Amino acid sequence: MFPQFLRRLFWLVLLVVAQMVIFNYIHLFGYATPLVYVYFLLLFPLGTSRWSILLWGFVCGFLCDVVSLSLGMGAASMTLVAFVQPLLLKIMVQKDAPEDLQPGLRTMGFWSYTNYTAILTALFCLCYFLLQAFTFNHAKDLAIACGSSWLLTFVLCMVFEGLRDHKTSELT
Amino acid sequence: MNALYQFLAKYYHWLLFVALEGISITLLFQFNYYQNSIWLTTANSAVGRAIDWQQQALRYIHLGDVNKALMQRNILLQQNNRILAEEIAQLTHDSTLSERRQKAQLEGIRLIPARVTTNSVMHRDNLMTINVGSLDGVEPEMGVISGTGVVGIVYMTSSHYSIVLPLLNSRSNISCRLRGTDYPGSLKWDGSNPLYATLDNIPRHARFKIGDIVETSGYSVVFPPGLFMGKIDKVENSDDGLSYKLRVHLSIDFARLQDVCVVAQDFQAEVRELEQRADSLLER
Repeated sequence: MFPQFLRRLFWLVLLVVAQMVIFNYIHLFGYATPLVYVYFLLLFPLGTSRWSILLWGFVCGFLCDVVSLSLGMGAASMTLVAFVQPLLLKIMVQKDAPEDLQPGLRTMGFWSYTNYTAILTALFCLCYFLLQAFTFNHAKDLAIACGSSWLLTFVLCMVFEGLRDHKTSELT
Repeated sequence: MNALYQFLAKYYHWLLFVALEGISITLLFQFNYYQNSIWLTTANSAVGRAIDWQQQALRYIHLGDVNKALMQRNILLQQNNRILAEEIAQLTHDSTLSERRQKAQLEGIRLIPARVTTNSVMHRDNLMTINVGSLDGVEPEMGVISGTGVVGIVYMTSSHYSIVLPLLNSRSNISCRLRGTDYPGSLKWDGSNPLYATLDNIPRHARFKIGDIVETSGYSVVFPPGLFMGKIDKVENSDDGLSYKLRVHLSIDFARLQDVCVVAQDFQAEVRELEQRADSLLER
């Protein structure tokens, strides 16, 4: 229990710091900004209590908001993703999957995990940029920023997962 | 109560989700000026629209009362309109050119307002009754005028009524002149058309034209000079050929005459007494 908490805390701190130090400064073509801390919620295994995911997601989003000076946007988006993640994961994995299945390329398969990541990152980016824009007056700019940021976030999440999967395989 | 606990235990994550989203949204509006301003603007607009709908609904509900009030107001305004229309008609009537001239000419003369009670224009010797008499200060041989011209002369009086010898009587004879000249003549009615009378004894060298105005000459104490009588309609030679005989279109429509005034001059009685004394002296 305690190592699991520390592991989650480690990922939380790592992603928040990475977002604060590196990814907040990336604005590809003036639109695409990676929001990689959503990867934190992709790590929660099947069977995790809902309240736990919600609280972790809210705290992660809140911390990123604090360091990004965008209070409320990340917290609301992460809470929404945290609410949807268990439901989506249950749909994506096979019925005979273990109750504590850790989502990943190896455990879910490439396409399932890709869909899982794509949907959750898309949901997160959509919610985040809608809250940021808060109007449809510049729908085109909003769509470009949301789409490009989603693509970048999705790619980075897949890269993180690839690295994590590679390290796990090395350890085993 | 148990069911409530079971419900909360089963769907606690929903409540937690809503609470966390609520906190997030609160933070969003609290610490982001842009979102806060848009939210306030939108919220104000929505609240304003909701209040507008509510007001519209209330107005619709209260339309019955409004309708009643409007109906009462409408009746009141109709009454006011009628009263004002009557007053305007009286003021307009009094402000005609002839009326104003007469008012100017009648300064220093007392006017006794009266109403025609009986009247006729069908006979050769028509008479008219007015509802003022000796108690009102009316005496025989006083003039009677209306707003548009001369009517006739008081013939006899009782306490409350008087008989007037109107122009439409064969015995009526009113001294007149053409406006702008001093040529006198006497206006008589020939007994045919009540709209026309004849002005005799206009000298042949007098200059006038059709449409010129005929007015009282003032050569008697009955009428002051300058009271409008009518306009020249037709010019004919007199029977003896020595003067003109003018057909005058009378200014008064006697058939519709209702309101008149008796002209009471202060020195009329004195002048008449003087004339009678002079006549008696001459008869001797």
